[in-house]
Amino acid sequence: MRVPLTSRPVLLFVVAALVTWALAWALLGAETQLEVLALFCVTVAVAVVAAKMKLDAPVAAAASSHPRALGIACVVGVLALAVVFHEDHFPLLLLCSVLLYITACLGLNIQFGYVGIVNFAGAAFFGIGSYTAAMLAGHTGLPHVLVLLLGGAMASLISCVLLLPVLRTRGHYAALVTIAFATLFRSFLEVNDALGGPQGMRIPALNLFGWDLGADHEWGELFISFYDNYVLFALALAVLAFVLVRRLERSWMGVAMDAVRTDEISAKVYGISIARQKIVAFMFGNLLVGIAGATYGMMTGYVAPNNFTFADSLILVSMLLLGGLGNPWGIVPAAALILILPEKLQFIQEYRFLLYGVVIILILLFRSQGLLPRGIRRYFPNREAARG
Amino acid sequence: MSLDIFSQYLINCLMLGMIYAMVAVGFTLFFGVLDIIQFSHGDVLMVGGFTALVTYAGAQALGVANPWLQLALMVLIATALTAGLGVLVARYLVLPLKNAPPLNTLLITLMMGMVLREGVRLAYPNGSNPQPFPRLLPGGVWSVGGFEARIDSTILLLVGLALITGLHLLITRSKLGLAIRAVAQDGETARIMGINFNWIVLLTFGIGSGMAALGGVMNGLYYTEINFGVGLLLGVIGFAAAILGGLGNLYGAILGGFLFAALQTVGAVVLPMLSQHIPSSYKDVFAFAVVIALIAWRPTGLIAEKSTERA
Amino acid sequence: MAEDALLVASGLTMRFGGLVALDALDLEVRSREVLGLIGPNGSGKTTFFNVVTGLYNASDGSIAFEGGDITNLSPQEIYRLGITRTFQRSRLSLSLSVFDNVWAGNFRNLDQGLIHNLFRRKTLRAEYERAVEQVRALLATFDAHLADRLFQPAAALAMIDRRRVEICRALISEPRLLLLDEPSAGMTHDETAELMDDIMQVREKLAPFSIVIIEHEMNVIQRITQRCVVLNYGEKIAEGTYAEITANPDVQVAYLGQE
Repeated sequence: MRVPLTSRPVLLFVVAALVTWALAWALLGAETQLEVLALFCVTVAVAVVAAKMKLDAPVAAAASSHPRALGIACVVGVLALAVVFHEDHFPLLLLCSVLLYITACLGLNIQFGYVGIVNFAGAAFFGIGSYTAAMLAGHTGLPHVLVLLLGGAMASLISCVLLLPVLRTRGHYAALVTIAFATLFRSFLEVNDALGGPQGMRIPALNLFGWDLGADHEWGELFISFYDNYVLFALALAVLAFVLVRRLERSWMGVAMDAVRTDEISAKVYGISIARQKIVAFMFGNLLVGIAGATYGMMTGYVAPNNFTFADSLILVSMLLLGGLGNPWGIVPAAALILILPEKLQFIQEYRFLLYGVVIILILLFRSQGLLPRGIRRYFPNREAARG
Repeated sequence: MSLDIFSQYLINCLMLGMIYAMVAVGFTLFFGVLDIIQFSHGDVLMVGGFTALVTYAGAQALGVANPWLQLALMVLIATALTAGLGVLVARYLVLPLKNAPPLNTLLITLMMGMVLREGVRLAYPNGSNPQPFPRLLPGGVWSVGGFEARIDSTILLLVGLALITGLHLLITRSKLGLAIRAVAQDGETARIMGINFNWIVLLTFGIGSGMAALGGVMNGLYYTEINFGVGLLLGVIGFAAAILGGLGNLYGAILGGFLFAALQTVGAVVLPMLSQHIPSSYKDVFAFAVVIALIAWRPTGLIAEKSTERA
Repeated sequence: MAEDALLVASGLTMRFGGLVALDALDLEVRSREVLGLIGPNGSGKTTFFNVVTGLYNASDGSIAFEGGDITNLSPQEIYRLGITRTFQRSRLSLSLSVFDNVWAGNFRNLDQGLIHNLFRRKTLRAEYERAVEQVRALLATFDAHLADRLFQPAAALAMIDRRRVEICRALISEPRLLLLDEPSAGMTHDETAELMDDIMQVREKLAPFSIVIIEHEMNVIQRITQRCVVLNYGEKIAEGTYAEITANPDVQVAYLGQE
C-alpha cells in the first residue's frame, strides 16, 4: 500500500533522513577525537531512543513503500555534503573513498552475496584497476573514460584466468585460489620494477572530455576543492553500479545466482548453468571492482603495493558481512563506518585492523545476517507500491 | 652450480618444507575432525614463536644462562600456551559455528588471524619490526666431501623429521589417534560409539597448535628473527600445502609442504638460470601460480580426497 | 519395446568403485503412465534417478527419451528435454521466497541473457506479472492458502507445504516426465494421501505427463500406479501391476517378506 505523503511514517522517514545526514555531516567535519566520541554517544542515544519509541519499524515501512525515496535521499545527502564541505579536502576525500569502496563492494556482493564465491582478492582486483589506469594514463594518450573502462576490463580479464580453478572447485578449495592469487599479486607488485616496485608509481589526475577532475575551482571568493569533482563522478559511478546490481538481483539471473549459491545440485537439475552464473558474477563483479580501483588511483594520484594487501581484501569482505550479505543497502553504512571512523579517531587508527577483526568475529558469532539483513526479493517494488 | 651452494639450497629447501609441513598437518587434522579450515593457524604459529621469545627474555632475567635449558623452557612454555590458544579458538570460535555454513568458519578464523597478528604487533614492544631471535643451537659447519651444512640447521631438520614422524605415529598407532581418526571418518558414529566428540576436537586443536608452536620456534631459530606478519604467509602456504595434498590426508599435507618449498626453490634458483628476466624474487609468484594451476588440474588435491568437498 | 515408450533404459549400469548400484537394468516408462519404483533400501532406486537426470554418468548402457539418446547428457540438457524431479530430502532454498523457489524450476522457459535481464525491464515486468499468476495458480491447486504466501521465505513453511512447493518447482516447466523420490518421507499418512491427490489433479489439468515414483508407502503405490518395477541390488527382479508384483514370490522374499 502507498502511504500518503503527509502520513506519520513519511514524516518520520524525513526526520530520520535529516538526522542521519546531520550525523554524517558532523562526523565528516569533526576535528577532535572528543567530538567524534560525543557524536558516537549521540548516535547510540538516537538509535536507542528510536528503538524504544518503536520508531524504526514505521521508518522502514515508509522506506519500503516509497522505494525510490531512500535512493534519492542518499544522493541528495551526498550532494549536500559536497556543498557544505566544498572548501575542505579531507572530508571530501573520505566521502569519495566511501563512494568508491561502495562501488567495489557492490561488485564483490554479486560474487559473495548472490552466486556464493568469496573473493579474497578484492583488494588485488582493485589494485589491478589502479595499476592499469597508472600505466595507460601515464604512458598513452587514451581518453580517460577508456582508461577507467580498461582498468575494469583488465580486472575482469585477469579474473578469467582464475575462473577455471574456481569453477572446478568448491568451498575451501575455491577460497584457496583467491587467497593464493591475493598473495601472488602483492608479491608480484613488490618485485616488478616496471610497475614501480615497492614505491609504486604516480598517476595523472582524471580528465573526462576536458573536465579536469584534479583542478580546484576558484571564482572570486569562492573556492571549491577538486575533490568535489571526484565526489560527483564517484557518486554517479556508485549510483550506476547500485542500479545495475539491483536490477541483476531483481531479475531471472538473480534467481539463478541465488539458486546456485544455495544448492548447486538443485540448480543443475533445473537447467541452471553453474559455470555461466559464476563466470558472469565473477567477471561483472570484478569489472566494478576494477573501475572503482582505477578511479581511486587517479583520485589519489598514486598507487603502491601497500594499498592492496590481503588485509585490505579482508576489509572489503568485512564491509559486506557487516552490512548484511546480499543487501546492497547494507554496504552503504558499513563502508562509511569502516572507512571514516578510524580516520577520525586517531587512537583507533593504530588499532583498526584489530577492531575490524573483533567486530567481524562478534558479527559472525552473534548476528551473522549483518546490520541490514537481506530481505525477500521484490522484483518491481516501485510498481507494486504504486498498485497497492 | 658447485656442491656447497647446492647443499645450501637443498638444506634450505628441506628446512622450509619441514616448517610448511608442520603447519599443513595442522590444517589437515582440523579439516579431518570438523571439515573446517582454521585459517588463523599460521598466526597461532607466530604466537608460538613470540611466546618462546618472551620465555627467553624471562629466562635471561631470571639468570638461566644455559642455552639448552633456555631452549627447553621455550619449547615447553610455547607449546603449552599455544596449544591452549588453539583449544580456545576451537572452543569459542569454531565449535559454536559448527552448524553454520563452512565459509563462516573460514571467515571467523581469518579475522582471528588478523586479531592475533595485530595483537602481537601492538602488544610486543616495537612489534611492528622484526624481532631478533636468539641463536641457541651450536654454530659451525660439518662437511662430507664437498657437501657442507650448518650444524644448527641439521639439528633442526632432524628434530623436525622426528616430530612429524612422531605425530604420524600418534595418529596412526595410538588409541588417541584411533579416536581422532574415528571422529574424522564420521563424527556422528564416533559419538554413538562413546567417543567424546568435543573433547577429541579440542584435543586435536591442541595437538595441531602445539605442533605449530614448535614450527614457530624452529622458524625463529633458523632465521634468527621473527616478525608479527610471518604467520599470514606461513598460513597461506600451509593451507595451500594441505589442499595440494588433499585436505584430510596427513601424508598429503607433508608432501604438499615439501612440494611448495621445492617450487619456491625452483623459482629462486632454476628460473633465473633459464631467463635473466626472471629474478629470484619471483619465487613466491611462481610457487603460487603453480599452486593455482595444480588446483585447476586436480581440483581436490594431488593424493586423496574427502568426499564432502567433491566438486 | 512398447509403442508408446517415453523413457527407455537399456543395460543401464552404475558402478561406484567395487559397488554395483545398477546392474544392467532394462526399464521402460510409457507415455502418461504412473510407474512405481520400489525395492529395499540401497537397491538403486535413487541412483536410477540420479543417472537419468545426469547427476551421475552411467558406467554402461544407455537411456533414450522420446526416441533420442540422452545417455550422459548434462543435467541441464536433460531438464531442457522435459525431465524434472524432486529429492528425497527437501532441497529448497530456504532463504528465498516461495515464488523464487517455484520459479527457479522454470529456467528452460526463461531468458538468462544479461541484456534482457538488465536492460529490458518493461518486458521483464510483463514476464514477471505473468509468472506470479502462473505460480499462484499452480500453488492454489495444491492449497489455496499457499498461494497467498508467495512472498514468504520457504523457511517459514511447514514440512508438507515445503513438499508442495518442491513439487510445484518440478511442475512449473510442464515436464514430460516427473520423477518423485519418496514424496511421503517425513509426512503423515493423511498428508501423503492429500499430496498424491493434488498431484493427480494437476496432472489432469496440464498436458498429461508420466510419473515415476519411488515410495515405501505401499498404499500410495497401490492407489496411484499403473505399473511397478521392483529393484533389488540394482537388478530388476519383477515388473507388473501392483497386484502382480505383490503376488510374486521373489518380491516377497526380497522386499515384502522383510516387513
